[in-house]
Amino acid sequence: MFATSTQRHFWMFKDETDVSNARLSANIKYISSRGRNMTVAERETHFLNVVEEKSLIMSYEYQLRDFCRKFHPPMPRYVIGTALHYLKRFYVNNSVMDYPPKEILVTCVYLACKVEEFNVSMDQFVGNLKGDREKAAAIILNNELLLMQQLDYQLTVHNPFRPLEGLMIDMKTRFPTFSDPERLRPGIDEFLEQVFYTDAILIYSPSQISLAAIIHSASTSKENVDEYITKILFSEDQKRLLNLIEAVKKIRVMVRNVQLPHRDTIKALEKKLALCCNPDNNSESPAFKKRMKQSFDEEESFEDGQYPSASSDQVRSMLMGLSEMGKI
Amino acid sequence: MDDYQTCPKCKTTKYRNPAMVLMVNACGHALCESCVELLFAKGSGACPECKCPLRRNNFRVQLFEDPAVDKEVDIRKRILKEFNKRQEDFPTLREYNDYLEEVETIIFNLVFDIDPTNTNKMIDNYKKENKDITQKNRNRQSQEEMELEELLEAEKAQQCEKANLYVNAELEEKKQKHKAREKLIDELMFSDADAKSIVASHVQATSALAKEQPKAAAQPSSGVVKSSKFSSGIQIGLRGQHTNSFLPIPKQEDLPLYRYTAPVFDYDGPPPPPIEKLGKLNYFANIRAANITERAGGYTEAMSCCRALQEALGGLFYSPQLTHKTAVLATNPSTQDTDDMETT
Repeated sequence: MFATSTQRHFWMFKDETDVSNARLSANIKYISSRGRNMTVAERETHFLNVVEEKSLIMSYEYQLRDFCRKFHPPMPRYVIGTALHYLKRFYVNNSVMDYPPKEILVTCVYLACKVEEFNVSMDQFVGNLKGDREKAAAIILNNELLLMQQLDYQLTVHNPFRPLEGLMIDMKTRFPTFSDPERLRPGIDEFLEQVFYTDAILIYSPSQISLAAIIHSASTSKENVDEYITKILFSEDQKRLLNLIEAVKKIRVMVRNVQLPHRDTIKALEKKLALCCNPDNNSESPAFKKRMKQSFDEEESFEDGQYPSASSDQVRSMLMGLSEMGKI
Repeated sequence: MDDYQTCPKCKTTKYRNPAMVLMVNACGHALCESCVELLFAKGSGACPECKCPLRRNNFRVQLFEDPAVDKEVDIRKRILKEFNKRQEDFPTLREYNDYLEEVETIIFNLVFDIDPTNTNKMIDNYKKENKDITQKNRNRQSQEEMELEELLEAEKAQQCEKANLYVNAELEEKKQKHKAREKLIDELMFSDADAKSIVASHVQATSALAKEQPKAAAQPSSGVVKSSKFSSGIQIGLRGQHTNSFLPIPKQEDLPLYRYTAPVFDYDGPPPPPIEKLGKLNYFANIRAANITERAGGYTEAMSCCRALQEALGGLFYSPQLTHKTAVLATNPSTQDTDDMETT
C-alpha cells in the first residue's frame, strides 16, 4: 500500500517549489554541459529554460492522453495514470533537451501496459502508431531500459482510482444521508483527469487526491460532504483534519490553475528544441545514426571471436595504408 | 595391451603367438621363452641389449608390462629381505624416516645402476651391523604369516566340508529314490494287492521321506562352527561396532521457541475496518457481488472491498516532507554542478 511503497519514500516532494527546483537543476546541468563555450546571453536564446520545458511537457502529457484514448484495445484509466506518472518522474530528473519527449512518451505507455498487466504485444502496440512501425518498435525497445533506469527501477505506482472506489463504498455504507454519491462521478472523473497535468501526484498521497476530487465535485453540485469527513473519517484524529483540509485546498488550487499551453507557443518551442537537443539521444540526427552503425559493426566482428578492439574504421584505414605501400 | 608385447630378439608378438611368455632378467630386459632357451642352448650368457653376463635361473616370468618395473620389484624384494626393520625398532619417527630414506636410496641406485660399488658396500655394512635384529624380525614375520595361513586354511577346510556335505546329500537322495522305485516294482510284481493302491501308498511314502530330508540336512550343518574370534581375542568381523543404536543429537535447550507475532501495518490514515467485520457492517451492499466462476476460484467480495478501503483510508494523514533530493536554488550555473554532485 501507499504508506510502505517506494512511491512514498522516493518519489514524493515537499511542495511545488521543491519539484520545480529539481527540474531546474536538471535543466542547468544539461545547459552547462552542452553550452560550455557560450556566454550567458547566448545560452538563454539557444537553450530552453525551465518554464518552457514545463509547458512542453504539459503539451506532451496531453498528447499522451490522446494517444491512449484512441488506443486499441481500449486502455483502462489506471494504465494511463501510470504512464503519466512515469513521464512526470522521468522529466523531474532529466531535461527535455536531453531525451526527446516523443520517444519517451511511447516508451512510458508501453512500460505502463506491462507493469499494470494490460497485456499488449509489441505489434499491437505499434499498430496504434502512425509512421514507420519497425522503427517505432526499435525506438521503444531501446529506450525501455533507459526509462527504467531513470525511474530507479521503482515501477509500482499508486493511482487515485482505487482509493476513489474505496471512498465511494465507504460513503455509501457509513454516510447514508448523502444520497447516491454516484451522481458525483462525472465531476470526479474530470477532476482526476486534470490533476494528472499538475504536480499534485508528486506531492500528495493518492487517497488525498481522490478525496479532493470528491469534495470538488460535491461543491460544484452545491453539495456538502464535510460531515462525512469530520464525523466519520476523522472522528478520532481532529488535528490531522487540519492537515488534510490544507492538502485538499492546495490540490484544488493546482487543478484550477491548469492551463493547456497555446498551440503556436508549442510549435515555436518544438522548433527551438530541435536545435538544442542532444544529438546522441535523438534518433533522427546523423551523429546518432553513425554511432549506431559503428557499434553494430563492432558487434559483428566480435561475434567471430577475440578480435582486438580496433574499430572497423581503423582496420579499413590500416588496410588502405598497406595496399598503398604495395604489400597487398 | 597384451597383444603388442614384442620380444626384442625374434620380434614375435603375443598377437601372433598367444602362448608366448616374456621373461625378464636381472638387468631388466625382456626376452620370450623360446629366445631364452635358444640363448642358453648356445651356451652364451649375454643379454642381447646390454651385453651383461646372465644366468639361466635369473630369468623370471614377467608380471608387469614394463620390464623395468619388474626389475625394480625384484630388487625391492631382495633388499627388503635384508632391511626389514620396523617402526617399533626406532626411538623416534625421524630416525625411522631416515632409515626408510636410506633403503629407498639403495634401491634406486641398484635399479638405475648408479654407483654400484658404494651401494653394495652400504648393503654389506648394514648386514653386518644389524644381523641379529634382522633375524629377530624375520622370525616375527614368519610367525604372523603362519597365523594368517592357518586362518586361511581353516576357511578353506570349512568350504570343502560344506561342498562335501552337499554332494553327499545329493547322492543319498538319489539312492533313496532308486530304492523306492525298485521297491515299487517288486511289490507290483509279487504282491496280490490292487495296483493302484500300491502306487498310492508309495507316493505317500516318498512324500513323507521328502519331508524328513530337510530336517536331516539341517543337522550336519550345525556341526561346522564358525570361529568368531581370533586366537588373540579380537572379534572377527564388524560385530559389535554398528549394532548399537546411534546417540541422539543433543538438543539445544537454551534457545527460545518461535512465537508467531502478527504483522502490524501502518496505514498512515484512519484504520479501515478489518476484513472479517465487513459483512456485518453492510459494505457488501455497495459492491458488485462475486459471480459463480469467481467464487469457485476463491475470490470473495470481501477481498476487493477490503483492499479498496485500505487504499482509500491509507495515506490520508500523509503530509509532504522534504525529499531526499534537497532543493537546489538557481544562482550560479558553475557552482550548481558541484552542488548537484553532493546532494543527489
